[in-house]
Parts: sequence; C-alpha cells; structure tokens
Amino acid sequence: MRDSETGTSLNHVNLPNRRARTLKFAALATAGLFVAGCATNAPQDTTDPAGTNAQQIYDLSWPIFAIAGLVGVIVFGVLAFVIVRDRDRGQPIPEQTHGKPKLEIALTILPALILIGVAIPTVGVIMDLDDTSDTECVVNVTGQQWWWEFDYPVQDGCGGITEPIVTSGQMVIPADTNVLIRGTSRDVIHSFWIPRLNGKRDMVPGRVHNLRMQANEPGIYAGQCAEFCGLSHANMRMEVVALDDGDFETWKANQLEDYESPTSEAALRGETSFVTNCSRCHQIDGITDADGVPIVSRPDQQVYSGAAPNLTNLMTRNTFAGASWDLINQDYRDEVWEASPEEFGDLYLAGVTDDVFNEVDLREWLRNSPTKKPMYTDPLELEATDGLVRGMPYLALSEDQIDDLLAYLLERK
Amino acid sequence: MFTTGSKFLIGASVMALIATLVYGIGQGGVLGTVGLTSATVALIGLATLNALLRDSNVFSDDEAPVETSSAAQFSPPSSVWPLGFAFGSVVIAVGLISYQPIVVIGLVALVVTGGEWAVQAWAERASGNVEHNAAVRSRLSNPLEYPVGGAVAIGIIVFSFSRVMLWLSKTNTTIAFSVLAAVVLAIGFAIAYRPKMGAGAVGGVMAVGAVAVVAAGAITGLDGERDIPEFETTSIWQEEAILHPTEYAEGAEEGKHPAGLICESPEEFPEADERASETVASKSGSYQVFLTEDETLAFDVPGPIEEGPAGMVIPRSNPTNVIFRNESDEHRRLSIDFGTETLEVEGEDTEVRHQICTTLIEPGGAQLLTVEADLPTFSADGIVNPNGPGGEEGDGFWLFVPGVDTATLELIVP
Ligand code: HEC
Ligand SMILES: [Cu+2]
Repeated sequence: MRDSETGTSLNHVNLPNRRARTLKFAALATAGLFVAGCATNAPQDTTDPAGTNAQQIYDLSWPIFAIAGLVGVIVFGVLAFVIVRDRDRGQPIPEQTHGKPKLEIALTILPALILIGVAIPTVGVIMDLDDTSDTECVVNVTGQQWWWEFDYPVQDGCGGITEPIVTSGQMVIPADTNVLIRGTSRDVIHSFWIPRLNGKRDMVPGRVHNLRMQANEPGIYAGQCAEFCGLSHANMRMEVVALDDGDFETWKANQLEDYESPTSEAALRGETSFVTNCSRCHQIDGITDADGVPIVSRPDQQVYSGAAPNLTNLMTRNTFAGASWDLINQDYRDEVWEASPEEFGDLYLAGVTDDVFNEVDLREWLRNSPTKKPMYTDPLELEATDGLVRGMPYLALSEDQIDDLLAYLLERK
Repeated sequence: MFTTGSKFLIGASVMALIATLVYGIGQGGVLGTVGLTSATVALIGLATLNALLRDSNVFSDDEAPVETSSAAQFSPPSSVWPLGFAFGSVVIAVGLISYQPIVVIGLVALVVTGGEWAVQAWAERASGNVEHNAAVRSRLSNPLEYPVGGAVAIGIIVFSFSRVMLWLSKTNTTIAFSVLAAVVLAIGFAIAYRPKMGAGAVGGVMAVGAVAVVAAGAITGLDGERDIPEFETTSIWQEEAILHPTEYAEGAEEGKHPAGLICESPEEFPEADERASETVASKSGSYQVFLTEDETLAFDVPGPIEEGPAGMVIPRSNPTNVIFRNESDEHRRLSIDFGTETLEVEGEDTEVRHQICTTLIEPGGAQLLTVEADLPTFSADGIVNPNGPGGEEGDGFWLFVPGVDTATLELIVP
C-alpha cells in the first residue's frame, strides 16, 4: 500500500511525515466542524436575537463566553507548555513543590473574583427576565403531545380582548409589546422555546409557568419543544408571529368573526363529513346541527391529553400539526419568511388562499395522519390509556371525502 | 452422658412433641397430627439410637484422653444458635401445616440463627483462645448485627408509637406526643448538663422508656384503632345526592346530614366539612378566588394583567388549580356550576347539575380546588344557570358561594 501524497510505503513512513498528516486531518476536521455551523436558513438562532429578552441573554453570553474562553486558553496553554517542557527525555523528575501559601491564596481568590464578576450581571439578567410587572398582553400556552395551543383570555391587555381566542401552532402577538406567556401542559413536560425571542421554559402539567415574549419587529420566529416528550417530540414545533398593532387588531377581529357556512357544493358535503368524522375531537366555533344547537367537540373522551386543535380559523395559520407542515406552498412560504417587517403583516394576514394552498401535505394528513407524524393511535396499543389516542388516528376516509373536507377546510378563515 | 448429636435430636424431639400437642389440640386436624406424631416418633427413635451409639464416637466414653488430648484443650463456649435453628425449623413445619404466614417467622429465625451459627463455628476455629475467637466473630458479625438490630429496634418503637397514636383521639395524640417530646428533650438536657451521670442511670432510664413504649404499643395495639370514619369528600356527597336520591332524602330526613346538594348548601355536612381548611401555600402559579369582606367574588390569575371584568378564564380540558380564600366572617364554600349533564340515575337517564365545590372554609382559611372543564362556555349559551346572577346574562358556567347571593363570578372556558 502506498501513501498517495508522500509516495513512501506506509510501512516505512517516517515520523515527521505522519505527524504532519495527523495535523492536517485535525485542521480539516476542525474546519469542517466550524463550517457546519454556518447555514443560510437557520431560523432558530440564539445569536440572532429579535427581541429585548433574547437580546439581554445574548449580551450577557458574549462577555461570559469571552471570559470563559480566556480562562480556558490560559489553562490549556499552561498545561500544554508544561507537557512539552517537561516531557520525558530521561531527565530526573523536576523539583516537586508543595505549600506556597501566597500562590495558593491568589489562585483561590482570583477564580472567586472571576465568578463573582460573572455572577453579578447574570443574576441581574435572570431577575430582569423574571419580571412580569411590565406585561402588556397575556397569552395562555398549553403544550400537549405534540402541538401547542394558544388561548387569549379576556383582558384589557393585547389591545383589549372581549372574547377568548383559541389557536394552535402559531402564536400571534403584537410586535414591540411585552407579552407574558402563562404556560402549562396537559400531559407530560414540554418546553417552550423560541430561540430568537427568549430562553426556554419547561411547561409542567398542573403548574403555570411565566415566560416573557417580545419581538421588536413584525416577522415570524421559529421554535420547537425543547423537552423530550415522546414519539413525535421532534415534530412538536411552534412559531411566534409578530404583527404591528393595526394588523394585530385585524387578526383578532378575524378570529372572532361569526361562522361562515360553506358556499360550494363540495364544501357543504365537507361540512357534513366534518361533523361525522372530525367534530368529536375538533372544535369549529359556530357550527350547529340541523336544529341550530352548537356542536361541541369532546376531545376529552377521545384523546389522552383531552384536547385537539381548534380548526375554526385553520387557514389563517400557515402551518399545521405542530407547525411541522405548511399550509402554504414553498414559494409563498419563502416570501412570508423573507418579507421585510413592513410587508410581512399583509402577506401573513392574506392567509391560505386557493393559489398558495399547499394541498399535498394536508391531503396526506387526512389520508393517514399517523404515517405522516408518528403518534400512538393504533387501536391495539391503547390499553394503557383506556382507548384514548395520543395524536390523530387513521380515519379511513375515501379520496372523495378528503376532497370535500379540503374544500370545507380551505374556507375556515 | 448425652453426646452433642443426641442433644440436638432430643431438642428436636421435644419441639416436635410440643408442636404435635399444640397442633393436635388447637386444630383438631387429623392429617397434620399424624404427620407430626410420625415426625416425633422418628426423632425420638433417632435420639435414642444416637445416645446409645454415642454419636458413633468410640472415644467419647474413654476417660483417658479427656485431659491430655489436643482436642480437650479448648472447649468452645456453649451457643444458643443451634437451639434457635432447631426452633426455626419446627416453626416452619408448624407453619406449613397450620398458618402459612408463620413460615416467614420460621424462615427469618432459620436464616438469622443459621448465619450466626455458621459465623460462630467459623470463628471458633481461629485459635484456642476464647476471647480472641469472640473478637474474630465480632469483627465479621457486628457490622451487620448493629445496623440490622438497630433498625429492628427502631421499627418496633415506631410501630409501638403508631399503635398508641391510632388508639388515642386526634387531639389527644397531639397533646400526648408533644408532652413526650418535651420529656425527651428535658432528659436530653439533663444528660448533657450532668456529664458525670453514671452510664448505668442513663441506660436504666432508656430501658424503662423503651419498655414503657413497647408495652403501651402492645396494649393499645391489642385494643385496636380509634374509630376512623370513611373520609367523605364534597364530591362523594354530591355524587350520593345525585345517584341515590331516595336514600339521600331519607338520610336528610333522619337528620344525618343537611338536605339538598352540598355544593348548593351553606350548611355543614358531616365529615367532609369537619376537616375544613387544608391550608395551602400561595403559589405564584395558581389561580385564586377570594370571597371578599363585602361578600363578592374577586379573582387573581397568574400574571399581572387585570383581566376584564367579564370573568375568570381557564383553559379547556386542563386541570387548573384554583385556591379559594375566604375573607368573609362566615364559614363558606366555593362552588362551581358547569350546567347540566345527563347521568343514569336509578336506571333512568336524568339531567343533573354538574357541580364541584370546596368544603366549608373558616374565615381566613383557604383550600385548593382542582377545576377541569371539558366543555366550552358556549355549549351553555342561552341556558340560564340557576346559580348565576340570574337573568339573561346568567347563562354559562358560574362560580358561586352558597348562601351569599352577591357572590357570583363567571367561569369562561374557550
Ligand atoms: C380522535 C380525535 C381526532 C379526530 C377524530 C380527528 N382529529 Fe384531527 N387532530 C387530532 C389531534 C390530536 C391533532 C393534533 C396532532 C398533532 O399535531 O400532533 C389533530 C390535528 C389535526 C389538524 C392540524 C391542526 C393544527 O392546527 O395543527 C387538522 C387540519 C386536522 N386534525 C383535521 C382533521 C379532520 C379534517 C378530521 C376529520 C376527518 C380530523 N382531524 C379528525 C385529533 C383528531
Ligand atoms: Cu413537547
């Protein structure tokens, strides 16, 4: 076997050559690792803060990283120096010293001072991030396997909310406003994390956790559940959508609009199909039976967490099923994500229209949801939960039924 | 002279005989008695044979080497372990044919005495010096004996305490054990301030105390626990009233409890309301509802926003902890009326009110109520709730305080 670069036989490679090769490898690997950190499309970037809370964390982490890095370089430098200087060349063992009180005291005080220096700003930031006294808008956030629900309680905040609003996957907030998330979970521990807006916060069943959220400018900010929560943990994403005040008012008004009965034949059939197949889990506000009595979903009798997404305004969001798939096509998605803060609101509020509708993924979802997103819905494996599903089960719909349902759902905005 | 082997067999025979008598008389069982009798006869036979043959040891009646042979130089001290071991075996046998749980006692005795016996036998081969051998044994056994013995002793004392506590009434228990704790503390101080007090005195006090505790435990344990009534909750009362209306009405007529639904009643119900306020720590994450001094309901939800006056909003299908704080001057309970639900009552589908409530809370007290609303408020749109403030505005779900008309608060579930 020949070494291609040096042309010498590997068996006789001389030492300096081999060392050079190892070094080259190490350099390449490091560079590779470094380059892997670069990405053009990295929406979950803590080093690109988009709100005051994330900015505070970022401003704190740089100096601390610098201090820690400096300490690391010094320690490893000294270590390397000693290793090289005193490497074994057959010389006698160097002088062993013990008990140099001045040095020892100095080496105790110095790290203590460094730690204190780091702790003071850190504690300050922690307390700032915990402060809720400047809240201007409250949103209840509830995690469950494997999607997030956002409900807006009646309040004076958020520009005034007179009737509760419920949505999922995308949390819409007014930009440049201090929003307070009141988070909890319906089943296991989840963690809410929008890296560009704030740190993560665990959401524990039976407890309410506060988390500040603020985005400087209108835009869309990605995140995902940051606490392993079962099979589809990786598909439990969420997005925060910030709108300027006017657009947020429009969004609110739209969420509270009365139910609009379907217009087309297909959508009418879709409504009937929805009532038969879906309304036992999914709520659509305002839908009534033939006698005008509201149809009330009972997800508590079907789903382990006791909840399923409210579909009243499905097509005002851009994503579905834990923000894991798009309701809009790729081109429009790119447009929304790359929009300037001024253009963003209009693009987002346009919602899912006929020409930008990404039918493929939603069709696949209705055809067989558990193959699209891993969930515990196999009737044979539901003993532990008394027959309750975790996720949306396979519903054995025909393609015609799916066509009708899609027509109906497309009008839900 | 009885030889070593025959002693063991004679012991076993005697135990077997006793077992036969006890079992035979106590149980009147035929098969077991036959078995035990056979065992006794066999053991007696073996013992006799063994005594006659002197353990098949030809030297055992030869006087000459007794003083001079090396074997005669050291005789290990007598040991209780073989006796215990035999006892354990017999207890197991008795247990197997009479009362199974006894077997466990026998097994424990067998393992403990067998282990000790083995260790002792091993230690006795260490040297010809008794003291040295004892030290060898201790070195191996004490690290196990002390902790296990200590644990057993503590277990016995704790168990005795618990018997006494369950025998005394709730209040007396508190008093008795406060006094006891004070006495223990006083003795502790006394010992600490008089370091010269003899070890004997301290040991004596301890021993007397231990015996007193165990004796008290035994006596009270035999006498049995105080009456501990089934713990009745408000939800059990509510369920009783709804599911067994006839019986419930009879009970009310006989004066066993107030009439009507507990969640709609300002009166005190037996048991459920006797335990009143379970004081809860105020957690920042909890919803709070106050019955104010001027008898209205106010609420505070996590987060600083003063929410609109419309009502308290909780998420749907999600257990939410609500702390009720009674700031009025009366005993009051907080109730929630979620409208009607259909239940099968005495064989028929019946519309009943779906309500939950706290127990009666004393002025200044608090209690946690876990609220889960599976239906949204609009499912009760236009249906007037009799426990709301009345009128058209009174539809939906309502928090209310029985007996206080002014205290209502809408519960909104999206
Ligand atoms: C047994 C209950 C159940 C039934 C029946 C059901 N679903 Fe679902 N559905 C769910 C659950 C649970 C989710 C959330 C799954 C996830 O994201 O992990 C879901 C998610 C969805 C989503 C995504 C919503 C969002 O905002 O993320 C859509 C759309 C949907 N279902 C449509 C339907 C339609 C249409 C039907 C009737 C044909 C239907 N579902 C029947 C339980 C159900
Ligand atoms: Cu999760």
